Amino acid sequence: MNEYTRGNFKAGFKTLLSTKLRSFWTMLGIIIGVASVITVIGIGSGIKQQVSHQIQHLGRDVIVIRPGELHGSTGLDALSGLNVSGALSSKDVNVVKNVDGVSSVAPISISVAKITRDKIPYNNNLLIGTNGDLPGLLNQSIAYGSFFTYEDEGSKAAVLGDKVAKRIFDEELPLGRTFYYNGQEFIVRGILNEMNTTPLTEQADFNDAIFIQDQVAQELSKNTAPIYQILARPEDPKQYKAVAEKIQNSLYKSHGYQNNFKVITGGKDYDSNGTVLSLLTQMIAGVASISLLVGGVGIMNVMYVSVAERLHEIGIRRAIGATNKQIVSQFVTEASIISLVGGVLGVILAFFINILLRIFSDLKPVMSIELIVLAIFISIIIGIIFGSFPAIKAARKNPIDALRS
Amino acid sequence: MALIELQDVSKLYGFGDATTLALDEVNLTIEKGEFVAVMGPSGCGKSTLMNIIGLLDRPSHGKYRLQAKSVETLRPNQSAKLRRDTIGFIFQSYNLVPRLNVLDNVALPLMYKGVNVTNRIKQASAMLERVGIQEREYFMPNQLSGGQLQCAAIARALINNPKLIVADEPTGNLDSESSRLVMELLADIHKNGNTVIFVTHNPELTRYATRVVYMHDGSIIHDEKTVIGRVASTAKKVAEKSLTSDEEHLLAGVSTMMKTFPTKDSESKTKSRKKPLKGKKKS
Ligand SMILES: Nc1ncnc2c1ncn2[C@@H]1O[C@H](COP(=O)(O)OP(=O)(O)OP(=O)(O)O)[C@@H](O)[C@H]1O
Ligand SMILES: [Mg+2]
Repeated sequence: MNEYTRGNFKAGFKTLLSTKLRSFWTMLGIIIGVASVITVIGIGSGIKQQVSHQIQHLGRDVIVIRPGELHGSTGLDALSGLNVSGALSSKDVNVVKNVDGVSSVAPISISVAKITRDKIPYNNNLLIGTNGDLPGLLNQSIAYGSFFTYEDEGSKAAVLGDKVAKRIFDEELPLGRTFYYNGQEFIVRGILNEMNTTPLTEQADFNDAIFIQDQVAQELSKNTAPIYQILARPEDPKQYKAVAEKIQNSLYKSHGYQNNFKVITGGKDYDSNGTVLSLLTQMIAGVASISLLVGGVGIMNVMYVSVAERLHEIGIRRAIGATNKQIVSQFVTEASIISLVGGVLGVILAFFINILLRIFSDLKPVMSIELIVLAIFISIIIGIIFGSFPAIKAARKNPIDALRS
Repeated sequence: MALIELQDVSKLYGFGDATTLALDEVNLTIEKGEFVAVMGPSGCGKSTLMNIIGLLDRPSHGKYRLQAKSVETLRPNQSAKLRRDTIGFIFQSYNLVPRLNVLDNVALPLMYKGVNVTNRIKQASAMLERVGIQEREYFMPNQLSGGQLQCAAIARALINNPKLIVADEPTGNLDSESSRLVMELLADIHKNGNTVIFVTHNPELTRYATRVVYMHDGSIIHDEKTVIGRVASTAKKVAEKSLTSDEEHLLAGVSTMMKTFPTKDSESKTKSRKKPLKGKKKS
């Protein structure tokens, strides 16, 4: 840095300090521009992340086996969303488990049951029979305690959905507490985190469900708890289609060459999710460009005004012998300092807005490093261009014309 | 070799019907070491002339040679460097940068020259001492009186030790005491061998000059050498004439009376341009 530039930097900061108010207004434009760009883009990518998270939740690599439409009472299906045709059984679970390349399998059987806790009856509880693979298949985390495993087979362990714990037990953490179902005592072994997705249908709220061993559920309901679906995951996601085909063949064989079941592979079903995501991506890009434009125009405006205001000063400086280059360089330095400081303050403001949004709304804006760097970078570029452009213009005038303004 | 040579220099402002002829084929030669006072009524083109001489503006027509070098051929960078190193311009309205303190203002031309900070501050401070306001070097311009501001502006004009000082009504906004101070400073610079050109409406101040140039409607109508310490004879005449006719005019300065300036009965030195005086507006 040569003597002149160093002087410029000092002068730049001096300018900032000595004209606090105007610098503040100038900067405010940049701060708001940068903060709003970051916030808007952050909200957009936050929403996208949430949506794609929900889609991921059911895992794109999970194969779903459902009873065939043939055996379903379709009218009821449409209403309840639950297919209760009962074409799938625990036997099918074992068949799928033994298919080559399947790493985990979990049935989901559903019954609506009455339970009692401390002699108080609770009706209409969604009771889901499954096994220890379910959390892994749903990418579902456990808040407290643990899910049951294959070693617990036959035991009366229960895991509660997020809402059940609060609804039936008068505490948040009823670990180790008991309830009765069909005269059997169950011990609460774990509590799930809130599920963002409804793996089955809108109607079956997994957050309000009690999970028990499928085997136990079948026994206690005397095999009236239909298996609504079986989830399976291939060892190698790349073998997804091949494994699905193998499952199809094995079940076809074990069902006596009857096609009374459906193996649903992600492909078709999840396509719409991909479209949603790409639409979201496009929307975010659109909103981001508009907000960048608005922020940029704001910065531009503010820089332009501050230079126009200083035309007289440019005249003085030129009259006493500043070259055009020196004047432009002074303005570029000042503009970069103002837009850098404004950009950083804008990021800080965006950070606070982010926190407030997370506290007071369901939005979870994402502030990525790339976004922050980009916003600061753009604010500096725009600041420099529009800070120096009028200075360049002024530098072309006769000194006396600049002085007259 | 003359320091300044103007040859048929004209300056036009505006276009079409609104064209103003601010300078009308002015010829003027100023040698190194002269102390020239420029006088004339308001609007006769004094400031326009100063701006052109000081390289703040360019003539519309004609030739201007500064140090025998034609100004038209200068690139913007070169004229900026001439303004910085060779010319010190002093304005009626001081024109200090309001955001900088006095010291920084005075040091500004040094900064543009590339002098390092310590030397800049040292030299600027010394210059402020020379013009007598060193104790106010850290004041902001809005904390100074007009006289002090003009002293600071002079210090800034002198800081690069220019050969030529161009001052457009340096005392125009000052009382007689401050005016005297400012003129003493200019006289001091002149004594050191520099050339000084200044505009004034006050005949008294021609005492400091070695030469007085009178202008009217964009032309130089009279040019006389004078003796330092004495009011220029023509200026005096005009002043006395006004004294008898209208006292108000004296108070307002000579500008109004200069319009009735006698061109025919002037002394031998008068370069009387025998053409009738044109209106300021050329149609
Ligand atoms: N930028 C401009 N645009 C148009 N006309 C101008 C401009 N500057 C000066 N003029 C005109 O040129 C003429 C000369 O103006 P100038 O400022 O040189 O007069 P002056 O002798 O300095 O007057 P004063 O004693 O009042 O300062 C005037 O008629 C003025 O109106
Ligand atoms: Mg003037």
